[in-house]
Amino acid sequence: MTKEVYIRAACQISTQHPLGEVWMDSPVHYNEPYARAIDPDYKQFLEPNVARRLGKILKRALLTSRQVREESGIACPDAIITGTGLGCIENTGIFLEALTREGEAFLKPTYFMQSTHNTISSLVAIDARCHGYNATYAHKGVSFECALLDAFLQVKKGEANTVLVGAHDEMTPDYFLLLKRAGYLGHAPGGFSGETAMSMMLNNREEDAACRLDGVEIAYRPGREELQDLLARLCPLDEIDAVMIGTNGNPANDKLYAEVCPELFPGKQLLRYKHLFGESYTAPGLGAYAASILLRQQRVPAHLFANTREKEVTRALKRVLLYNHFEGKNHSLILLSACGK
Amino acid sequence: MDELIVNLKKEIIEVLNLEEVKPEDIADDAPLFGEGLGLDSIDALELIVLMEKNYGIKLTDPSQGRELFKSTRVMADYIRENRKK
Repeated sequence: MTKEVYIRAACQISTQHPLGEVWMDSPVHYNEPYARAIDPDYKQFLEPNVARRLGKILKRALLTSRQVREESGIACPDAIITGTGLGCIENTGIFLEALTREGEAFLKPTYFMQSTHNTISSLVAIDARCHGYNATYAHKGVSFECALLDAFLQVKKGEANTVLVGAHDEMTPDYFLLLKRAGYLGHAPGGFSGETAMSMMLNNREEDAACRLDGVEIAYRPGREELQDLLARLCPLDEIDAVMIGTNGNPANDKLYAEVCPELFPGKQLLRYKHLFGESYTAPGLGAYAASILLRQQRVPAHLFANTREKEVTRALKRVLLYNHFEGKNHSLILLSACGK
Repeated sequence: MDELIVNLKKEIIEVLNLEEVKPEDIADDAPLFGEGLGLDSIDALELIVLMEKNYGIKLTDPSQGRELFKSTRVMADYIRENRKK
Protein backbone atom coordinates (compact mmCIF):
# COMPACT_ATOMS: atom_id res chain seq x y z
CA MET A 1 0.00 0.00 0.00
CA THR A 2 1.42 3.34 -1.00
CA LYS A 3 1.44 6.35 1.29
CA GLU A 4 0.57 9.99 0.78
CA VAL A 5 3.50 12.40 0.64
CA TYR A 6 3.44 15.77 2.38
CA ILE A 7 5.65 18.82 2.43
CA ARG A 8 6.01 19.53 6.10
CA ALA A 9 8.25 22.60 5.93
CA ALA A 10 10.17 24.57 3.31
CA CYS A 11 12.73 27.35 3.55
CA GLN A 12 14.71 29.50 1.10
CA ILE A 13 17.71 31.75 0.69
CA SER A 14 17.43 33.43 -2.68
CA THR A 15 17.25 36.83 -4.35
CA GLN A 16 14.31 37.56 -2.04
CA HIS A 17 14.53 38.29 1.68
CA PRO A 18 15.93 35.10 3.19
CA LEU A 19 14.40 32.57 5.59
CA GLY A 20 10.82 33.77 5.35
CA GLU A 21 7.88 34.79 3.21
CA VAL A 22 8.50 38.54 3.01
CA TRP A 23 8.41 38.15 -0.80
CA MET A 24 4.67 37.44 -0.61
CA ASP A 25 3.88 41.04 0.32
CA SER A 26 7.14 42.98 -0.21
CA PRO A 27 9.03 41.40 -3.07
CA VAL A 28 12.44 42.65 -4.14
CA HIS A 29 12.51 43.58 -7.84
CA TYR A 30 15.56 43.40 -10.06
CA ASN A 31 16.32 45.42 -13.18
CA GLU A 32 19.78 43.99 -13.74
CA PRO A 33 20.27 40.68 -15.55
CA TYR A 34 22.40 39.23 -12.74
CA ALA A 35 21.69 39.09 -9.03
CA ARG A 36 23.15 37.10 -6.20
CA ALA A 37 21.15 35.78 -3.27
CA ILE A 38 20.46 37.96 -0.24
CA ASP A 39 22.45 36.21 2.45
CA PRO A 40 21.40 36.43 6.09
CA ASP A 41 24.00 37.26 8.72
CA TYR A 42 25.36 33.74 9.09
CA LYS A 43 27.12 34.64 12.32
CA GLN A 44 23.69 34.72 13.95
CA PHE A 45 22.95 31.15 12.90
CA LEU A 46 26.14 29.17 12.32
CA GLU A 47 28.98 28.54 14.73
CA PRO A 48 32.17 30.35 13.57
CA ASN A 49 34.11 27.09 13.61
CA VAL A 50 31.53 25.44 11.36
CA ALA A 51 31.09 28.37 8.99
CA ARG A 52 34.67 29.45 8.43
CA ARG A 53 35.52 26.78 5.87
CA LEU A 54 32.22 26.81 4.01
CA GLY A 55 31.53 28.54 0.71
CA LYS A 56 28.26 30.41 0.16
CA ILE A 57 26.33 27.48 -1.26
CA LEU A 58 27.28 25.29 1.70
CA LYS A 59 26.33 27.92 4.27
CA ARG A 60 22.99 28.40 2.54
CA ALA A 61 22.33 24.67 2.32
CA LEU A 62 23.30 24.15 5.94
CA LEU A 63 21.14 26.98 7.24
CA THR A 64 18.02 26.22 5.17
CA SER A 65 18.23 22.53 6.06
CA ARG A 66 18.63 23.36 9.75
CA GLN A 67 15.60 25.64 9.56
CA VAL A 68 13.32 23.00 8.04
CA ARG A 69 14.61 20.35 10.41
CA GLU A 70 13.73 22.62 13.30
CA GLU A 71 10.41 23.77 11.86
CA SER A 72 9.30 20.22 11.07
CA GLY A 73 10.57 18.79 14.35
CA ILE A 74 12.45 16.16 12.34
CA ALA A 75 16.03 16.48 13.55
CA CYS A 76 17.36 13.50 11.62
CA PRO A 77 15.49 12.53 8.44
CA ASP A 78 15.61 9.01 7.01
CA ALA A 79 17.11 10.30 3.76
CA ILE A 80 18.74 13.41 2.35
CA ILE A 81 18.44 14.07 -1.37
CA THR A 82 19.88 17.11 -3.14
CA GLY A 83 19.44 18.52 -6.61
CA THR A 84 22.13 20.85 -7.91
CA GLY A 85 23.00 21.85 -11.45
CA LEU A 86 26.44 23.23 -10.76
CA GLY A 87 27.34 22.02 -7.28
CA CYS A 88 29.93 24.14 -5.47
CA ILE A 89 30.85 26.10 -8.59
CA GLU A 90 32.42 29.00 -6.68
CA ASN A 91 34.87 26.79 -4.80
CA THR A 92 35.50 24.81 -7.98
CA GLY A 93 36.45 28.05 -9.71
CA ILE A 94 38.80 29.07 -6.89
CA PHE A 95 40.39 25.62 -6.94
CA LEU A 96 40.92 25.66 -10.70
CA GLU A 97 42.29 29.21 -10.66
CA ALA A 98 44.83 28.18 -8.00
CA LEU A 99 45.65 25.11 -10.07
CA THR A 100 46.68 27.24 -13.05
CA ARG A 101 48.24 30.04 -10.98
CA GLU A 102 50.43 27.75 -8.89
CA GLY A 103 51.44 25.42 -11.71
CA GLU A 104 49.40 22.53 -10.30
CA ALA A 105 51.23 22.68 -6.97
CA PHE A 106 50.10 23.86 -3.52
CA LEU A 107 46.48 22.94 -4.06
CA LYS A 108 44.09 24.03 -1.32
CA PRO A 109 42.67 20.91 0.35
CA THR A 110 39.52 22.68 1.51
CA TYR A 111 38.56 23.92 -1.96
CA PHE A 112 39.38 20.52 -3.41
CA MET A 113 37.10 18.76 -0.95
CA GLN A 114 34.36 21.31 -1.48
CA SER A 115 34.46 21.36 -5.26
CA THR A 116 32.30 18.30 -5.82
CA HIS A 117 28.55 18.27 -6.32
CA ASN A 118 27.81 15.85 -3.50
CA THR A 119 29.61 17.95 -0.87
CA ILE A 120 26.27 19.68 -0.20
CA SER A 121 24.26 16.58 0.61
CA SER A 122 27.06 15.07 2.67
CA LEU A 123 27.56 18.24 4.70
CA VAL A 124 23.85 18.37 5.53
CA ALA A 125 23.99 14.68 6.53
CA ILE A 126 27.00 15.23 8.79
CA ASP A 127 25.24 18.16 10.44
CA ALA A 128 22.07 16.12 10.98
CA ARG A 129 24.07 13.02 11.96
CA CYS A 130 22.09 11.19 9.30
CA HIS A 131 23.56 7.85 8.21
CA GLY A 132 20.65 7.02 5.91
CA TYR A 133 20.17 7.24 2.15
CA ASN A 134 22.10 10.18 0.71
CA ALA A 135 22.00 11.11 -2.95
CA THR A 136 22.76 14.03 -5.24
CA TYR A 137 21.20 14.66 -8.64
CA ALA A 138 23.21 16.87 -10.97
CA HIS A 139 21.08 16.90 -14.11
CA LYS A 140 21.26 20.55 -15.11
CA GLY A 141 17.75 22.00 -15.39
CA VAL A 142 15.91 19.02 -13.91
CA SER A 143 18.23 18.38 -10.96
CA PHE A 144 15.66 19.41 -8.38
CA GLU A 145 12.84 17.51 -10.05
CA CYS A 146 14.96 14.33 -10.09
CA ALA A 147 15.73 14.76 -6.39
CA LEU A 148 12.07 15.40 -5.63
CA LEU A 149 10.93 12.39 -7.65
CA ASP A 150 13.37 10.16 -5.78
CA ALA A 151 12.17 11.53 -2.44
CA PHE A 152 8.52 11.20 -3.49
CA LEU A 153 8.99 7.55 -4.41
CA GLN A 154 10.95 6.81 -1.22
CA VAL A 155 8.09 8.09 0.93
CA LYS A 156 5.35 6.73 -1.33
CA LYS A 157 6.79 3.21 -1.20
CA GLY A 158 7.54 3.37 2.51
CA GLU A 159 11.31 3.18 2.04
CA ALA A 160 11.63 6.36 4.07
CA ASN A 161 9.21 8.20 6.32
CA THR A 162 11.03 11.53 6.29
CA VAL A 163 13.18 12.96 3.51
CA LEU A 164 15.05 16.26 3.40
CA VAL A 165 15.13 17.54 -0.19
CA GLY A 166 17.42 20.35 -1.28
CA ALA A 167 17.73 22.54 -4.39
CA HIS A 168 20.98 24.44 -4.38
CA ASP A 169 22.82 26.46 -6.99
CA GLU A 170 25.04 29.50 -6.90
CA MET A 171 25.82 31.70 -9.88
CA THR A 172 29.29 33.18 -10.08
CA PRO A 173 30.01 36.24 -12.25
CA ASP A 174 32.22 34.11 -14.52
CA TYR A 175 29.60 31.44 -15.05
CA PHE A 176 26.96 34.08 -15.68
CA LEU A 177 29.14 35.58 -18.42
CA LEU A 178 29.42 32.16 -20.06
CA LEU A 179 25.65 31.71 -19.99
CA LYS A 180 25.19 35.22 -21.35
CA ARG A 181 27.56 34.55 -24.23
CA ALA A 182 25.65 31.35 -24.95
CA GLY A 183 22.47 33.40 -25.17
CA TYR A 184 20.73 31.61 -22.34
CA LEU A 185 20.60 34.45 -19.81
CA GLY A 186 21.07 38.16 -19.49
CA HIS A 187 19.57 39.46 -22.72
CA ALA A 188 15.94 40.11 -22.09
CA PRO A 189 14.50 42.96 -20.04
CA GLY A 190 12.55 41.65 -17.07
CA GLY A 191 14.41 38.40 -16.60
CA PHE A 192 17.48 37.80 -14.51
CA SER A 193 19.81 35.13 -13.30
CA GLY A 194 19.45 34.28 -9.63
CA GLU A 195 20.65 31.79 -7.05
CA THR A 196 18.76 28.99 -5.35
CA ALA A 197 19.02 27.59 -1.85
CA MET A 198 15.86 25.77 -0.90
CA SER A 199 15.31 22.95 1.57
CA MET A 200 12.06 21.13 2.20
CA MET A 201 11.09 18.29 4.49
CA LEU A 202 8.82 15.57 3.13
CA ASN A 203 7.02 13.05 5.28
CA ASN A 204 3.98 10.79 5.24
CA ARG A 205 1.80 12.54 7.84
CA GLU A 206 -0.77 15.17 7.03
CA GLU A 207 -0.68 16.70 10.49
CA ASP A 208 0.88 20.19 10.37
CA ALA A 209 1.83 19.77 6.71
CA ALA A 210 2.06 22.77 4.37
CA CYS A 211 0.62 20.80 1.46
CA ARG A 212 0.52 17.39 -0.20
CA LEU A 213 2.85 16.36 -3.00
CA ASP A 214 0.69 14.39 -5.44
CA GLY A 215 3.18 13.63 -8.16
CA VAL A 216 6.27 14.47 -10.16
CA GLU A 217 6.63 13.81 -13.88
CA ILE A 218 9.77 14.40 -15.94
CA ALA A 219 10.09 13.99 -19.71
CA TYR A 220 12.78 14.58 -22.32
CA ARG A 221 11.67 16.42 -25.44
CA PRO A 222 8.02 15.39 -25.07
CA GLY A 223 5.48 16.13 -27.76
CA ARG A 224 2.17 17.78 -26.87
CA GLU A 225 0.47 14.40 -26.68
CA GLU A 226 3.03 13.05 -24.23
CA LEU A 227 2.72 16.15 -22.09
CA GLN A 228 -1.04 15.68 -22.04
CA ASP A 229 -0.58 12.05 -21.03
CA LEU A 230 1.75 13.05 -18.21
CA LEU A 231 -0.75 15.62 -17.02
CA ALA A 232 -3.57 13.09 -17.17
CA ARG A 233 -1.50 10.73 -15.00
CA LEU A 234 -1.33 13.40 -12.31
CA CYS A 235 -4.97 14.52 -12.14
CA PRO A 236 -7.93 15.65 -14.27
CA LEU A 237 -7.38 19.12 -15.69
CA ASP A 238 -10.52 20.57 -14.09
CA GLU A 239 -9.14 19.82 -10.61
CA ILE A 240 -6.21 22.20 -11.14
CA ASP A 241 -6.80 25.70 -9.81
CA ALA A 242 -3.62 27.39 -10.99
CA VAL A 243 -0.54 26.54 -13.04
CA MET A 244 2.82 27.96 -11.97
CA ILE A 245 5.07 28.25 -15.00
CA GLY A 246 8.79 28.86 -15.45
CA THR A 247 8.77 31.96 -17.67
CA ASN A 248 12.01 33.83 -17.04
CA GLY A 249 11.90 36.88 -19.32
CA ASN A 250 14.03 35.32 -22.04
CA PRO A 251 11.92 35.21 -25.24
CA ALA A 252 13.65 32.00 -26.36
CA ASN A 253 12.52 30.34 -23.13
CA ASP A 254 9.10 31.95 -22.76
CA LYS A 255 7.98 31.28 -26.34
CA LEU A 256 7.39 27.63 -25.56
CA TYR A 257 5.14 28.45 -22.60
CA ALA A 258 3.13 30.79 -24.83
CA GLU A 259 2.62 27.92 -27.27
CA VAL A 260 2.07 25.07 -24.82
CA CYS A 261 0.00 26.63 -22.03
CA PRO A 262 -3.15 27.52 -24.02
CA GLU A 263 -3.22 23.99 -25.42
CA LEU A 264 -2.32 22.13 -22.26
CA PHE A 265 -4.00 24.28 -19.63
CA PRO A 266 -6.88 26.08 -21.40
CA GLY A 267 -8.59 28.65 -19.18
CA LYS A 268 -6.28 28.01 -16.23
CA GLN A 269 -4.88 30.83 -14.17
CA LEU A 270 -1.13 31.10 -14.82
CA LEU A 271 1.28 32.08 -12.06
CA ARG A 272 5.00 32.84 -12.26
CA TYR A 273 7.88 32.98 -9.79
CA LYS A 274 11.15 33.48 -11.69
CA HIS A 275 10.54 37.26 -11.90
CA LEU A 276 11.18 37.16 -8.12
CA PHE A 277 13.72 34.38 -7.74
CA GLY A 278 15.52 34.56 -11.09
CA GLU A 279 16.59 31.71 -13.29
CA SER A 280 18.97 28.98 -12.20
CA TYR A 281 19.28 25.27 -12.80
CA THR A 282 17.34 24.49 -9.65
CA ALA A 283 14.91 27.44 -9.76
CA PRO A 284 11.95 24.99 -9.92
CA GLY A 285 12.82 24.19 -6.30
CA LEU A 286 11.87 27.76 -5.44
CA GLY A 287 8.72 27.34 -7.53
CA ALA A 288 7.72 24.31 -5.47
CA TYR A 289 8.57 26.22 -2.29
CA ALA A 290 6.46 29.22 -3.42
CA ALA A 291 3.52 26.99 -4.38
CA SER A 292 3.64 25.27 -0.98
CA ILE A 293 3.43 28.68 0.71
CA LEU A 294 0.45 29.70 -1.45
CA LEU A 295 -1.38 26.50 -0.57
CA ARG A 296 -0.61 26.83 3.13
CA GLN A 297 -1.62 30.49 3.29
CA GLN A 298 -4.50 30.06 0.81
CA ARG A 299 -3.76 33.30 -1.01
CA VAL A 300 -1.99 34.44 -4.15
CA PRO A 301 -0.34 37.88 -4.23
CA ALA A 302 -1.18 39.92 -7.36
CA HIS A 303 2.48 40.09 -8.44
CA LEU A 304 2.54 36.34 -9.06
CA PHE A 305 -0.05 36.38 -11.84
CA ALA A 306 1.50 35.78 -15.22
CA ASN A 307 -1.22 37.52 -17.21
CA THR A 308 -1.99 41.13 -16.50
CA ARG A 309 -5.77 41.10 -16.62
CA GLU A 310 -6.84 38.67 -13.94
CA LYS A 311 -5.33 39.19 -10.52
CA GLU A 312 -7.12 36.67 -8.38
CA VAL A 313 -7.80 32.97 -8.29
CA THR A 314 -11.55 32.81 -8.45
CA ARG A 315 -11.92 29.64 -6.41
CA ALA A 316 -10.35 28.08 -3.34
CA LEU A 317 -6.76 27.11 -4.00
CA LYS A 318 -6.81 23.33 -3.82
CA ARG A 319 -4.36 22.22 -6.46
CA VAL A 320 -1.39 23.98 -8.02
CA LEU A 321 0.53 22.45 -10.91
CA LEU A 322 4.12 23.50 -11.61
CA TYR A 323 5.23 23.28 -15.21
CA ASN A 324 8.82 23.98 -16.17
CA HIS A 325 11.02 23.30 -19.15
CA PHE A 326 14.77 23.63 -19.49
CA GLU A 327 15.94 24.74 -22.92
CA GLY A 328 12.87 23.09 -24.41
CA LYS A 329 14.38 19.68 -23.72
CA ASN A 330 13.67 18.70 -20.13
CA HIS A 331 10.07 19.21 -19.07
CA SER A 332 8.68 18.68 -15.59
CA LEU A 333 5.28 18.67 -13.93
CA ILE A 334 4.86 18.80 -10.16
CA LEU A 335 1.42 18.64 -8.58
CA LEU A 336 0.78 20.04 -5.10
CA SER A 337 -2.51 20.02 -3.22
CA ALA A 338 -3.77 21.78 -0.14
CA CYS A 339 -4.10 19.51 2.86
CA GLY A 340 -7.53 18.10 3.59
CA LYS A 341 -8.70 18.80 0.01
CA MET B 1 58.36 40.64 19.07
CA ASP B 2 59.51 37.81 16.80
CA GLU B 3 58.64 38.99 13.27
CA LEU B 4 58.47 35.45 11.88
CA ILE B 5 55.93 34.41 14.53
CA VAL B 6 53.78 37.48 13.83
CA ASN B 7 53.83 36.81 10.09
CA LEU B 8 53.11 33.14 10.66
CA LYS B 9 50.06 33.97 12.78
CA LYS B 10 48.75 36.28 10.03
CA GLU B 11 49.27 33.55 7.45
CA ILE B 12 47.51 30.95 9.59
CA ILE B 13 44.54 33.27 10.12
CA GLU B 14 44.31 33.96 6.40
CA VAL B 15 44.73 30.42 5.14
CA LEU B 16 42.35 28.92 7.70
CA ASN B 17 39.85 31.79 7.37
CA LEU B 18 39.79 32.45 11.13
CA GLU B 19 37.66 35.58 10.75
CA GLU B 20 37.16 36.23 14.43
CA VAL B 21 40.80 35.77 15.42
CA LYS B 22 43.54 38.43 15.48
CA PRO B 23 47.28 37.63 15.61
CA GLU B 24 47.50 38.94 19.18
CA ASP B 25 44.79 36.47 20.23
CA ILE B 26 47.13 33.56 19.54
CA ALA B 27 49.69 33.07 22.29
CA ASP B 28 53.10 31.99 20.98
CA ASP B 29 52.99 28.76 22.99
CA ALA B 30 49.24 28.09 22.81
CA PRO B 31 48.30 24.72 21.26
CA LEU B 32 46.85 25.06 17.77
CA PHE B 33 44.87 21.81 17.83
CA GLY B 34 42.36 20.46 20.30
CA GLU B 35 42.16 23.18 22.93
CA GLY B 36 43.46 26.61 21.92
CA LEU B 37 42.44 27.43 18.34
CA GLY B 38 40.63 24.10 18.05
CA LEU B 39 41.96 23.25 14.60
CA ASP B 40 41.27 19.87 12.99
CA SER B 41 42.80 17.44 10.51
CA ILE B 42 41.72 19.46 7.45
CA ASP B 43 43.46 22.49 8.92
CA ALA B 44 46.59 20.35 9.33
CA LEU B 45 46.50 19.70 5.58
CA GLU B 46 46.18 23.42 4.93
CA LEU B 47 49.18 24.11 7.20
CA ILE B 48 51.27 21.51 5.35
CA VAL B 49 50.49 23.33 2.08
CA LEU B 50 51.31 26.68 3.75
CA MET B 51 54.73 25.41 4.89
CA GLU B 52 55.60 24.27 1.39
CA LYS B 53 54.21 27.24 -0.49
CA ASN B 54 55.51 30.03 1.74
CA TYR B 55 58.72 28.51 3.12
CA GLY B 56 59.67 25.73 0.71
CA ILE B 57 59.41 23.10 3.45
CA LYS B 58 58.00 19.83 2.18
CA LEU B 59 56.64 17.55 4.90
CA THR B 60 56.76 14.05 3.50
CA ASP B 61 55.60 12.36 6.69
CA PRO B 62 52.18 13.69 7.80
CA SER B 63 52.82 12.46 11.35
CA GLN B 64 55.54 15.12 11.60
CA GLY B 65 52.71 17.65 11.78
CA ARG B 66 51.68 16.44 15.23
CA GLU B 67 54.91 17.79 16.74
CA LEU B 68 55.50 20.60 14.29
CA PHE B 69 52.08 22.23 14.62
CA LYS B 70 52.13 22.19 18.41
CA SER B 71 52.27 25.99 18.59
CA THR B 72 53.26 28.95 16.44
CA ARG B 73 56.59 29.16 18.30
CA VAL B 74 57.42 25.52 17.47
CA MET B 75 56.41 26.12 13.85
CA ALA B 76 58.55 29.28 13.63
CA ASP B 77 61.60 27.49 15.10
CA TYR B 78 61.22 24.67 12.56
CA ILE B 79 60.85 27.17 9.71
CA ARG B 80 64.00 29.07 10.78
CA GLU B 81 66.02 25.86 10.67
CA ASN B 82 64.59 24.34 7.51
CA ARG B 83 63.26 27.10 5.25
CA LYS B 84 64.31 27.11 1.61
CA LYS B 85 62.71 30.42 0.76
